[in-house]
Amino acid sequence: MTTRSVTPDAVRLLSFEDESRLFMRLRATLAWETVRSMLTDARLRLTLVVVLSGLFWAALYGLFLEGFSFLDALHAEVISLLFNAFFSSLMVMLVFSTGILVYSGMYCSTEARLLLTLPVRAETIHAHKFREAMWFSSWGFVLLGSPMLTAYGVVRHAEWPYFVLLLPFMISFVIIPASVGSICCMALVAWMTRLRMHALTIGVTIAAVAAIWLGWTMFSQTNVDAMSAAWFERTFARLAVTEQKLFPSWWLSSGLIEAARTDRGGGIAGQALFESLTFLALLVANALALQLLAGWLARVAYRKGFSQLSGEMPSRRQRRLRWFDQALGHAGFATGRPLRLLLVKDLRLFRRDISQWSQFVIFFGLLGLYFVNLRAFNYNNSYASMIGYLNLAVVGLILSTFTTRFVYPMISLEGRRFWILGLLPVHRDQIVWSKFLFSFVGGLLPCCLLVLLSDSMLGLPWRLIAQHEVCCLMLCMGLSGIAVGLGARMPDLRESSPSKISSGFGGTLSLVISSLFIMSVVVVAAVPTHLFLISNTMGSGVVAPNGILAWAGGPWGATAGVILVVILGLTATFVPLVLGLRAFRRLEV
Amino acid sequence: MIEFDHVTRTYGPKTAVSDLTLAIPRGELFALLGPNGAGKTTTIRMLVGLLHPSRGAVRVCGHDLVKDPRAAHLHMGYVPDEPCLYDKLTGREFLWFIADMFGMPRRLATSRIDREIEHFELGEFADDLAESYSLGMKQRLVFAASLLHDPDVLVLDEPMVGLDPRSVRIVKDLLSARTREGMTVFMSTHTLAMAEEMADRVGIMVRGQLRFLGTIAELREQMSLESTTLEHLYLEVTSSRSRES
Repeated sequence: MTTRSVTPDAVRLLSFEDESRLFMRLRATLAWETVRSMLTDARLRLTLVVVLSGLFWAALYGLFLEGFSFLDALHAEVISLLFNAFFSSLMVMLVFSTGILVYSGMYCSTEARLLLTLPVRAETIHAHKFREAMWFSSWGFVLLGSPMLTAYGVVRHAEWPYFVLLLPFMISFVIIPASVGSICCMALVAWMTRLRMHALTIGVTIAAVAAIWLGWTMFSQTNVDAMSAAWFERTFARLAVTEQKLFPSWWLSSGLIEAARTDRGGGIAGQALFESLTFLALLVANALALQLLAGWLARVAYRKGFSQLSGEMPSRRQRRLRWFDQALGHAGFATGRPLRLLLVKDLRLFRRDISQWSQFVIFFGLLGLYFVNLRAFNYNNSYASMIGYLNLAVVGLILSTFTTRFVYPMISLEGRRFWILGLLPVHRDQIVWSKFLFSFVGGLLPCCLLVLLSDSMLGLPWRLIAQHEVCCLMLCMGLSGIAVGLGARMPDLRESSPSKISSGFGGTLSLVISSLFIMSVVVVAAVPTHLFLISNTMGSGVVAPNGILAWAGGPWGATAGVILVVILGLTATFVPLVLGLRAFRRLEV
Repeated sequence: MIEFDHVTRTYGPKTAVSDLTLAIPRGELFALLGPNGAGKTTTIRMLVGLLHPSRGAVRVCGHDLVKDPRAAHLHMGYVPDEPCLYDKLTGREFLWFIADMFGMPRRLATSRIDREIEHFELGEFADDLAESYSLGMKQRLVFAASLLHDPDVLVLDEPMVGLDPRSVRIVKDLLSARTREGMTVFMSTHTLAMAEEMADRVGIMVRGQLRFLGTIAELREQMSLESTTLEHLYLEVTSSRSRES
């Protein structure tokens, strides 16, 4: 009966090189299939991504070109400080972002569960997931860093070795903090399984306190005008703290500055190039050493850590805000109760989904930090007004990313649970309205507070603050209407992943319409005010003696602007909502 | 082929599996039964190396799952309760990935992939991306992948979930044929009819302890119930534990 051999000849354990090649092939196939399916199924999204990235890159390049030309002429010695500040902040961010991505990829994904049951080395799995995490955490650096460093090379008239060395410098630098993040993640999970969240919280708190301290010391007590020579001197003196010779950020900035040097005749400076290559060698050596350490740690700690994490008891249900849920559920008339109960359900899901509220807190927190620091600059009136409108646009754009990423998929996800809701005495309209209210009320308070903070710091008059708050109200309403309405009009009932739903055609369309809506609101509100301020400061005849521009820049122009904003806001709210409600009533699940 | 040697696994203060000692020889189909929370999934996860025992050792073909997991995995195939595939790979590409992972020679891999595609009737959709598959199609593909390298030990966690009756028949016939050839099958299931029809021995776990281990005939004998179904016997075993506690 038992004819099989215990050690079959048909199979063998792969060498490390074979395993690496196999995973490289896997990544290449997955990447190609992703691009291919985007080319066939999501052309709009792909085109938008490419075009917007190109525009973003070009805009940044132009900005950095201007900035470096200015600094090169006036404050050439501060480039090193600027690079050090930029790269050291990036280094800290890369440590945390890669650590978190490695954690989700190596310990929480179904792919990791599959790979751990196959005859593959733990260090190979780590290398595979590390590359994925490093790519996701560092593409922002490439998008932001490449125009900056290219512009620097152009301004400094650097020779070709500088441009050739850019990529090796960037890659070897990124590997260092990414490896540190990965090593910290594996060590925390394996040896501090229960305390990993505490350790992460302490780390994030230290980094946040350091960032706030740095921001505060740079911008506080600066009574001199922004962009003046004295302001630069004080600011850069405070940035000197980031210039540490043991930091890879210093090796990178020094290496790049040396590579950009030219000799007196404008040719390649041999000595400087040698220095630059020495810094590159230092970066590469450290990156490789850290990769070896990470590989060794994966071998001894990955399977152990995965096992320990899987063996954790689920956390106890949070009941601290139960009173609030009950109060909300039972407040008001009985007819509105189903809608309120749906709201309570969504609120609970939001509170218990750390990925949602943590991003909300981080983005709005950073924005708040920036607004608080606005006080440090002295602006004239029209400049402050312009910054106020730009800040309003930024608040709207950040809100639109949340409404697209988290609110747009809500109806699709609800559709999958229709077997629950369909049996309850809830009208379909109430489901749609509950999502709208959830998004509108949830976004309104933080956005209005942020706009108030920005305007107060800029010292804007109360009339302008009131106008901005009306715009903010309309933005919150409109963005919620667009996300919920389109979500109900184009639900994707087969997909269970909210990120995939939001990245589909409907989600992309929602993001594009939201962006256009924000721009329309800000332009409509800002143009009359700007014309009015110019007329006030430079005389009424400057803009145009008569005609539409003169009227727009007059006292009625601002009022008309606000009325237009309200009309735009109500249109953006109710048109998609009505379309969505009609479609959702007819939806067959 | 499979050995659990005084294996205990705890989750904080809770003991999920307590002092499990079990040996399953070559060519046996073993079914692990038990109510929800009995410790079946923990046992399976220790057997495939996803969880390490708090005490004791698990061995497959003599290889310790903690000390030498790769050598143990070389002899194993695993079908989890939730099939995991790469959405952006076709069924055939996924099978090639698994074949390559086991270091199978090119020609042999080609013939085995064709064999499993035919066995599990995957031909129609083998070249479609896995993201378009239904649950049953995914489950069939995972079965095919787990059998590609002719493993000595096949571990199945709720194997029939999502399969249509025809696929269930295919799987049952394959398991019977493979166990006759010497493959050992360790299966966790709630489908008592399948265990009754196919298992050489059953184990019934209750609250982390193996309450019964033997053939269904032995279970009948132990329970002093001459002619009754496995469902009746199972309920007797699991409820007697409840009465004791």
